[in-house]
Amino acid sequence: MSLFENIKMALMSVKAHKMRSILTMLGIIIGVAAVIVVVAIGQGGEAMLKSQIAGDGNTIEVFYQPSEEEMQQGDWEQNPFTSDDIRELEKLDKVTNVVASTSEYSTVRLRDESTDTSITGINQAYMEVNKLDIAEGRGFTSADFLGGRRVTVVSAAMQEELFEGKSPIGEIIRVGVQPVEIIGVLEKPTGLFAFGSVDTYLPWSAMRNMFGTNNYSQVTLEVGDTDDLKPTGEQATEVLNRLHDTEDSYQVMNMEEIAAGIGQVTTIMTTIIGSIAGISLLVGGIGVMNIMLVSVTERTREIGIRKSLGATRQQILFQFLVESIILTLIGGTIGILLGSGTAYLVSFFADWPSLISWQVVVGALVFSMLIGIVFGILPANKASRLDPIDSLRYE
Amino acid sequence: MIELEKIVKSYTLGKETVEVLKGITTTIEKGEFVAIMGPSGSGKSTLMNIIGCLDRPTSGTYFLEGEDVSTHSDPELAKVRNKSIGFVFQQFQLLPRLTALKNVELPMVYAGASKKEREERASDSLTRVGLRDRMGHLPNELSGGQKQRVAIARALVNDPSLILADEPTGALDTATSVAIMELFVELNKEGTTIIVVTHEPEVAEYANRVIYVRDGLLGKQPMNGGFPS
Ligand SMILES: Nc1ncnc2c1ncn2[C@@H]1O[C@H](COP(=O)(O)OP(=O)(O)OP(=O)(O)O)[C@@H](O)[C@H]1O
Ligand SMILES: [Mg+2]
Repeated sequence: MSLFENIKMALMSVKAHKMRSILTMLGIIIGVAAVIVVVAIGQGGEAMLKSQIAGDGNTIEVFYQPSEEEMQQGDWEQNPFTSDDIRELEKLDKVTNVVASTSEYSTVRLRDESTDTSITGINQAYMEVNKLDIAEGRGFTSADFLGGRRVTVVSAAMQEELFEGKSPIGEIIRVGVQPVEIIGVLEKPTGLFAFGSVDTYLPWSAMRNMFGTNNYSQVTLEVGDTDDLKPTGEQATEVLNRLHDTEDSYQVMNMEEIAAGIGQVTTIMTTIIGSIAGISLLVGGIGVMNIMLVSVTERTREIGIRKSLGATRQQILFQFLVESIILTLIGGTIGILLGSGTAYLVSFFADWPSLISWQVVVGALVFSMLIGIVFGILPANKASRLDPIDSLRYE
Repeated sequence: MIELEKIVKSYTLGKETVEVLKGITTTIEKGEFVAIMGPSGSGKSTLMNIIGCLDRPTSGTYFLEGEDVSTHSDPELAKVRNKSIGFVFQQFQLLPRLTALKNVELPMVYAGASKKEREERASDSLTRVGLRDRMGHLPNELSGGQKQRVAIARALVNDPSLILADEPTGALDTATSVAIMELFVELNKEGTTIIVVTHEPEVAEYANRVIYVRDGLLGKQPMNGGFPS
């Protein structure tokens, strides 16, 4: 008797008891769906966090962390990066862009209304490297940066706040007491953690003219190739520490460590929730075994008839084993579909990426099959051992 | 065809051992139509199950078509049941979820026949028992006589040399019983060896020879012309 024949027979018997079959599969369905959702969200989240923290992988932030000694002596700086520093960093071999900025908090006024905002003075690389796109109006030009023109690009949240969504292009706002002309509005940010904040951007030179700021507070290096990130970061700190005659005040973050840390956290989470799902699968498997045992008893006479017609023990064993595998496999498939759907909905509504890898899907199918075999073998064996004469007499 | 030599069958219930067959020796030739009669509990069904390779004797030897089946393994016995023997039971023993055609196909499924061959031979077999127009019916859509015809068609389908029927008319009325027995006579004329267990003398009359079982042993004649039931 062929495998195909057995599968057809098993499907018939599953169909004959639809409600019971579905209830039996429920444990497997929930277990598999839970695994799929958890792994998809875990992997998606891990990938997203890594890319958010490590940027797109080709930028590295340089930060200033004065030593205790320097702190005590008051020998530390609010804005630790000078224009000369930036020029030196730009000279580094693999550096494609140096993003530099400085920020202040201030009040912005439009006629009678006002709002608190962060004012960021930026250099020319800032917008491009941080992927800030203009939704309306125009961005800064080289002339704006060179001439220190008092023009500004504001965030969408600012447009909401001060202009109630109307076009602010050409309007004059006052930053402190200084008038600035709005030339552009940024796109609304997307992503789970991107809450639109009220931001005002100025060319750094304009910021210097207006507030008397010298130097930059934040510097990020962009390199062409991710592999150059680490060596370039080290070069940059060397250059800066030499220029400022400091020991180790200029540092870069070690992205690998952070990424490994995130990986560890998500691995622990995935393991915990995965084991809960595993227990649910185990319970599901026991449910399958239970129903198969009931089914064997109910079908005692059928087994007797089949044996009297020449079915061997092996053929009966195989028939019932295929049936339990079909049961768990259908359960597993429904679970995969349900889990994928749920993961998709979660990523749709929570704006959280989910990753359903084929390995997880194949793994879930193989595992469902395994459960079918492990928990099906006992009932199938019981069926195969039934005595044909007693079975034929069974009422 | 069938040679039984000192067949003993005993059951052990707790400490007690009950000997149901007490040493049966007999021969049935190819092409015979034999009826087995005897009082209830005398061991007729037990004997039939041994002849049908559904059960093994406790001791004694059994040759079927020259082969010593008393030493056969389980899978070998299954093969003998599948190829050489067709069973007909009092309770029909059809699978309720399968159509008449599918029920008749079953023995060929275990013989490993192709789907096409199965369908062809199963419908031939059903035609032969006069159920050509009932092939797609489920057992509970058929009358008792029709069910028994389906069972006979199923017994025939693998072209066995031996058909065993344990009280095949036990659940049927007289007219239907006659039709079923006439079908057996017809099959016997075509060369199939047939053994029927029955309580009814009218049914036994269709056979060429009657074997009497009494208390686990064979006897040639009924004691007082009949049996207590
Ligand atoms: N599995 C068993 N265990 C114990 N005793 C059994 C078993 N099967 C049959 N017997 C006994 O063997 C004896 C013969 O039974 P069997 O079914 O062969 O009788 P029978 O001649 O077919 O009777 P009937 O005409 O009523 O069908 C009975 O006394 C029965 O109780
Ligand atoms: Mg009997």
